[in-house]
Amino acid sequence: MSKNQSNTKSNHDLRVYTDITQLIAGRDNPTPLVKVNRSNPNQDFQIFLKLESYNPFGSIKDRIAYMMLTSLEIGEKTVVEPSSGNTGIALTCIANALGIPIEIAVPEKIPEEKKILLKFLGANVMEVDDALCPLFPAEGARGLVNALIHSPATKDSYVSPNQYENHLNIQTHYQTTGPEIWKQTQGKIDYFFAGYGTCGTITGIGKYLKEQNPDIKIIGIEPESMDHKLPGMKRITGLSEDLIPKILDRSVIDESVQVSDEDAYSAAMELARKDGIPVGPTTGAILCVAQQYAKTHKGLAVVISPDGAFKYASFYKDIINKK
Amino acid sequence: MKEYDLSNYVCPLSKIKASEALDSLGESETIKVILGDIDSLKSVAQELKKRGLKPSFTREDESRFVLIIAR
Repeated sequence: MSKNQSNTKSNHDLRVYTDITQLIAGRDNPTPLVKVNRSNPNQDFQIFLKLESYNPFGSIKDRIAYMMLTSLEIGEKTVVEPSSGNTGIALTCIANALGIPIEIAVPEKIPEEKKILLKFLGANVMEVDDALCPLFPAEGARGLVNALIHSPATKDSYVSPNQYENHLNIQTHYQTTGPEIWKQTQGKIDYFFAGYGTCGTITGIGKYLKEQNPDIKIIGIEPESMDHKLPGMKRITGLSEDLIPKILDRSVIDESVQVSDEDAYSAAMELARKDGIPVGPTTGAILCVAQQYAKTHKGLAVVISPDGAFKYASFYKDIINKK
Repeated sequence: MKEYDLSNYVCPLSKIKASEALDSLGESETIKVILGDIDSLKSVAQELKKRGLKPSFTREDESRFVLIIAR
């Protein structure tokens, strides 16, 4: 598009946009809701996947990254955020579009694909041992960013969106993802399944859906153990109160279910092989709980699919090789 | 003796900086590391234990902990 045309207003019907961030999903531009067919054991319990990989930077985090970054008072500071990858990728792309310097602290054990992608995008990537910080056991990246923001020597140089405490993380889902699901299901949704992570998704969407119909059941999914291979997911059970994301509102959640890595990866692979939908392992974790529900329930369920399969090729390779 | 004043860094930045200092510590060399809070002290102490180093320790005031470390 030439410079003369760059002031053209974005148009979702024609798919013409003034900049890449305009593609981030919203009420007028929802991510697709796709029915699970051959991977669903009971068609009286309809399962729809909300495919967030259709956001421009590939995940559900695109939504909150834009809101958080554009609301931040940055000045001359560098933006820094801990991330298992998706928030980091979204923040970096948006920061690049806005011309803002950015650093991302990532756990060492996230897939190589995500680290490479972040470096490809030009972010300064800090790989952090999960056991680095006794104040944030098992979350060294979060600890490091906390230190950069609070150390007298560095605090004037950094600013963090802090997705764990930022209410825009809830609001974004309350204002966009929740209404999209309500509209796309024509208000017929009975069950909503999402994972625990920063907890913005489950809290924001859960709150919106409960306000439309208090009978909708909100089911939260967490890894079976602290040491898991489901990037972005957090085990809430057993965490001390000060480590649980402050934005989590437990009042909107009806039930929590734990999932093993094995079940999550199996569900993701089954979905790819039977329905042709390539998703990340966290989608597998959430979907496998919905599949369990399908055996004993009826109704319409929506499963959040935070991202696609491609960033996890190395993780899937390990599973495929084992099998 | 080389001095590393890390009192303006909170944990785990203090631990990272202290680890860098320890990595560059030569044979029979001694360094002085100053930390500004208890959490930093705990995590640097953990790192020293892992490396088999025994520092001498002085608490100068509420927020100033001095470690003398020799290899």
